[in-house]
Amino acid sequence: MTQTFTFDATDLNIVEQLRRNGRANNQQVAERLGLTATTVSTRIKRMEDANQLRVVAVSDFTAHGFNVLQRFWVEVDGRPASEVAHELADLPEVVAAHLVTGRYDIDMLVALHDFDDLSEFLFEKLSTVRGIRSMTPAIVVDIIKYKFDVAPIEGRD
Amino acid sequence: MATPNLDALDHQLIDLLARDARVSNRKIAAELGVTEGTVRGRIKRLQQDGLIAFTAITGFEMGTRTRLAFINIQADVDRVREVARIIAEIPGINAVLIAMGQFNITAMCLIDELDRLVELASDQILAIDGVHHVETSIAVKTVKYNARMAKITRPEVIDDDD
Repeated sequence: MTQTFTFDATDLNIVEQLRRNGRANNQQVAERLGLTATTVSTRIKRMEDANQLRVVAVSDFTAHGFNVLQRFWVEVDGRPASEVAHELADLPEVVAAHLVTGRYDIDMLVALHDFDDLSEFLFEKLSTVRGIRSMTPAIVVDIIKYKFDVAPIEGRD
Repeated sequence: MATPNLDALDHQLIDLLARDARVSNRKIAAELGVTEGTVRGRIKRLQQDGLIAFTAITGFEMGTRTRLAFINIQADVDRVREVARIIAEIPGINAVLIAMGQFNITAMCLIDELDRLVELASDQILAIDGVHHVETSIAVKTVKYNARMAKITRPEVIDDDD
């Protein structure tokens, strides 16, 4: 992906309005910025087509029934860490997986419905992934802030 | 954290709006075979219950220098919430989690330069009263990430003029 896209001031103003209220229609955004609805519509489409913007509903973990969140730091041995990470990422319980620098090789976030699911996840799923040397868990007890306005955006079909 | 009571229609709405939040109530109603009033009411309830929030996500290409970084923190147990709140107020910090484990707080941020991470971790966070130790790690590759699922922590501004 070498294509470059630059947001101009008008683009950024539109994005700002959509961050405040993603459900605002073109006319409402246009009125707030002194633009025409056509300009707003064209600009949004251009940003979306370049895969640089998605206006979406973000849903809470609990809306999906995930009441237990855990982070696992994984140390890999005898196998490329990226291979292990991809295999872990295939598990539906793993909601995020990153290859990281530092003491551990993989940092992942795991979402479970409740603690009863933990043994199945550990013994039937994680234990089948080759190359895991150690796992250091942390139980997430509270989330004070969780706001990512910038993320890798996948293309649309 | 109680599991909210959501029915199939709620889940359909969440899925639809996760793809594109700008689709009109009329279109959603037609697609799901319900009235516009039902769509409006359901969306409002999901927002009020803090189960969905609408936002604009802008992309960063994986080839650019922007990286997700984790700052793992050991803080005084009796001050962990207070410290976490202070960290959450630091500009540039995207997420703050309190956990039980080797570290009791993790802050996440997006950085363009390594200097910025050192500034956040070693200058700002380590200087907070009650913080004893910080360790940083940078995501060199994101293998899986879903921006559509998060913890919704702020009350949603609900516009009625839709």
